[in-house]
Amino acid sequence: MSADGSARTALRISFASLRTHKRRFAGTFSAVLLGVSFLAGTLVMGDTLRASFDSMFGNATSGTDAVVRSESAITTSDDAMGTRSPLRVDKSLKAVRATEGVAATEPSVEGSGQLVGSDGEPVGGEGPPTTAGNWIADSRLNPYELAEGHAPRAHGEVVINRGAAETGKLKVGDTITLRTPDPLKVRIVGLATFGGEDGMAETTFTGMTRADAEKYLMPETGMAASLRVRADDGVSQQQLADRLEPALPGGVEAITGDQAADENLENLSGQFLTLFTSLLLVFSGVALLVAIFSIHNTFAIVVAQRTRENALLRALGASRRQVLGTTLTEATVVGAVASAVGLGVGIGIAAGLQALFPAIGFPFPEGSLVISSLSMLLPLAVGVVVCLASALLPAVRAGRTAPLAALRETAAETTRVSRARALTGVLLGAGGIALAAVGAASGTRSVPLTATGAVAVLAAFIVLGPVASSFAVRVLGAPVATARGLTGVLARRNALRSPKRTAATATALMIGVAVVSLFTVFASSLKATMDETVARNFAGDVAVSTPGFGGGGSGLSPRLGPAVQKLPEVETSLGLGQGVARIDGTGQELTVTDPAKLPRVMNLGKVDGSLARLGGDGIAVSGTRAQEHGWKPGSTARLAFTDGKEKTFTVRAVFETGELTGDYVVTHEAWDPHRSQNADRLLSVAFKEGVSQEKGEAAVAAVAERYGKPDVQTREEYAQSAAGGIDMMLTLVYALLALAVLIALLGIANTLTLALHERTRELGLLRSVGQTRAQLRAMVRWESVLIAAFGTAGGLGLGGFLGWALVRATDSRGMSVLNLPPLQLTVVALVGVAAGLAAGWRPARRAARLDLLRAIATE
Amino acid sequence: MSGTSAARVTAAVKVYGSGDTEVRALDGVTLGFTAGRFTAIMGPSGSGKSTLMHCAAGLDTLTSGEAHIGGTELGSLGDKKLTLLRRERVGFVFQAFNLLPTLTVAENITLPQDLAGGSPDREWTDALIDVVGLRDRLHHRPAELSGGQQQRVAVARAFAGRPEVVFADEPTGNLDSRSGEEVLGLLGRAVRQMGRTVVMVTHDPVAAAHADEVVFLADGRLAGRMEEPTAERVLDRLKSYDRAGAVT
Repeated sequence: MSADGSARTALRISFASLRTHKRRFAGTFSAVLLGVSFLAGTLVMGDTLRASFDSMFGNATSGTDAVVRSESAITTSDDAMGTRSPLRVDKSLKAVRATEGVAATEPSVEGSGQLVGSDGEPVGGEGPPTTAGNWIADSRLNPYELAEGHAPRAHGEVVINRGAAETGKLKVGDTITLRTPDPLKVRIVGLATFGGEDGMAETTFTGMTRADAEKYLMPETGMAASLRVRADDGVSQQQLADRLEPALPGGVEAITGDQAADENLENLSGQFLTLFTSLLLVFSGVALLVAIFSIHNTFAIVVAQRTRENALLRALGASRRQVLGTTLTEATVVGAVASAVGLGVGIGIAAGLQALFPAIGFPFPEGSLVISSLSMLLPLAVGVVVCLASALLPAVRAGRTAPLAALRETAAETTRVSRARALTGVLLGAGGIALAAVGAASGTRSVPLTATGAVAVLAAFIVLGPVASSFAVRVLGAPVATARGLTGVLARRNALRSPKRTAATATALMIGVAVVSLFTVFASSLKATMDETVARNFAGDVAVSTPGFGGGGSGLSPRLGPAVQKLPEVETSLGLGQGVARIDGTGQELTVTDPAKLPRVMNLGKVDGSLARLGGDGIAVSGTRAQEHGWKPGSTARLAFTDGKEKTFTVRAVFETGELTGDYVVTHEAWDPHRSQNADRLLSVAFKEGVSQEKGEAAVAAVAERYGKPDVQTREEYAQSAAGGIDMMLTLVYALLALAVLIALLGIANTLTLALHERTRELGLLRSVGQTRAQLRAMVRWESVLIAAFGTAGGLGLGGFLGWALVRATDSRGMSVLNLPPLQLTVVALVGVAAGLAAGWRPARRAARLDLLRAIATE
Repeated sequence: MSGTSAARVTAAVKVYGSGDTEVRALDGVTLGFTAGRFTAIMGPSGSGKSTLMHCAAGLDTLTSGEAHIGGTELGSLGDKKLTLLRRERVGFVFQAFNLLPTLTVAENITLPQDLAGGSPDREWTDALIDVVGLRDRLHHRPAELSGGQQQRVAVARAFAGRPEVVFADEPTGNLDSRSGEEVLGLLGRAVRQMGRTVVMVTHDPVAAAHADEVVFLADGRLAGRMEEPTAERVLDRLKSYDRAGAVT
């Protein structure tokens, strides 16, 4: 037979088999389809989002040809964009205007301002920034366009972006509060759009008169964040920037408008898009990993069931390669078709999300879907490769079928679990745990060690699956057998029949459950750590802060602290502000406060030196940092501020715990000359002795009401709100992981269907000697539940371990708490078992409908 | 014919398919299986003997006519009631695949009673185990038994619930002649020593010779009966049907 002819024969056999056994491949098909569509949807959505933002920024800033701003920016580990000091407008403005080729220029004042709706609820701010600035009169320099009403003309008049107005149910003519953070009564006189959209993603914007903006957002009048410059016709952006540069005063730079837009976009996409798409990609990865197990299992079973068929082919002269090729061809065909369909479904998902997201208040700008060749080819390739890789081992096994197997009675898989497997698994597991433990013990520096350990443990779980499944099913099945009598006994024994198959089926679910419990444990540990941190550090009775997770919120009015201090109930009221400086070369956040009063509202632990007399050139540092730098009271550190000024500070105190306070504490005297917008991030209040919590809280709340109504919280509430973003993340994670569980469920259903097909005659026997349909259904469902319970138990164990490793690996201070939340983990366990019940539903029904006579008919 | 019928069919008709592909597997058979007797059903392939057994045992339903187990008419029973009837009042021995591979010998024997959730009659099953001679194999799995042993377990299972009638479908079809003899001997002893009722479908004249009476079917109709059969007489009778079939 020629090579060509033999390939054609293999192909023909593959297609014939696929046609005959459509049902068997339904599960494989669905698993590939789901994984691929998720991947394709993610890629298309990411590209589309990026393109939309690109064009939105392009539209919005097309009129700005150059931006003039302060040269130096200080970046910290939390803020890659950096803080840039405002510039004095007059000198720069004069220089810009005198430059040839400048058509127009306007100062742009930028800061943060939190709108508070008429109901007292803040508008936006739960993540995306809340910005405020001056309304730039030159419409081509202003990224916002007036959509309704007029520009602010008098004190207290503002234009807000249309998205913010919709979120806060605000309209032109409304009078509301703007926290700058000093509460300011403002009247909305106009609504604006950004690049044709209702806003720059979910960012809120409030445009004021320049006088108002300078007064409330800048340290002093006559300052602005930047100057926006438009070029004369015929002058390119680069030419303009090049001409401006030499004319500008020292410490001021000019960049092109495109560069400024890119920076803004990068900032947004860096923080949001990248996180969003990489999260989705991780989940497509998990989904595909789960799919691999389901697919592998399907092929393994199909090959086992076809042993006789393959043996016959071999006996008739088919080569190993041909039998192997037949199976691989099947896998390729299934993979390619499912991937192609999945690609279509994925693009559909992206289109659906594009339509759905705005409805749930998530920014997804309009515009056609961007389908790059990468987002077409990658999912297709991944789908086919996953399918092929999963089928490879079973295919090799099929190729090895001995011709004599056709004559043997049994066609089922071998059920023996090899000793080598158990040994390999145990060694892998022990090694992994040891690695992870060593890594965890030595903190964040050894993350790779912990990660390697975690991967080894994952591998050990997979390798040990068949060994563990017999044991686990025996244990888990014991109560079922007791409670459900013979039905339970049969279910348990069926699940025990092929430990390899049971394990492979359960592994898909195990991985899904493991990832869910990993996140559950990690999130709950983060919260517990936050609780502990607050309990350890916060010595006050109430905390006042503005709600907001991430960069949102605008902070507290600096006048709130002194106002609360005047209350008769209050012993100490201390605001903690935020500053930024480059300390010995690296950007760091500063806590700006009255250090002398600090120990009354914060537990600082042991203090070496004195906090009382920091003055204008003193700094207090946490023990951790002092150790890193080798500082002792009396040491000196060089601080560089955003305005370009540098100053030598003396370390006057070293305090033990700075988790909530911050690592570097300076006085207002030291910071204020360099600050921009003045705000406190936290107000810590301690009551006088004998003042009840309720009374004190009410008094503080009454004062806070006059300052834009920030949140007044007890310690516990403060700790919870500080961890508030975690729940939001977790909800998203759960929603996405439902997909992995769905694929696992399909896998279980598929394996059961195939297994039941194998057991047709057994089912017929059971029915003829008196098993009712209900009993048969229950037997199948219990088997499914047992497999799922095994997978769930494994997943909980694995997830718990990985959660522990992750908590330890990300713990920089050695202060993290491992928390296994019993309620959530119970819910995860119940969902896993329920998934088993659901997976068994259809196979059980189909098995119960079995034609009795056909089933018992002899061949 | 004397005594009461443990099972009977009246004007039994079973039609498979319709139109051109219509097959009348049973074409008006009226027949009773007397309690306390061993009846063999014989006939050439396609004579309807298996269909008759399936319908009489409640494994299949008649197109028209009636089937009774004791005083119960099967046609009016739903799947649930038929299942319970098979579990409690009927026993089965199939040609092959009689045992669940996951259950031990002991568990296989009491399978119907366990399905009912009741406790099996210990004394009776104990006696049965001794009769079939498998006491030392009770905790083995079927895969560890020979074909003959497996069929003996199936016989024990069939009688374990003291059913009104035991149907055996070619119980020796897959066995060598010695093992077959053993199984047939067991069935015969169950009838003669323990007063049970057995209906056996077979195409083997030697097997049929173990019965008290042979019923012959041809083309879905009752073709004749023979009391106290011997292998030679059965064979002769079958040959005559074959010849008759060849003529028509």
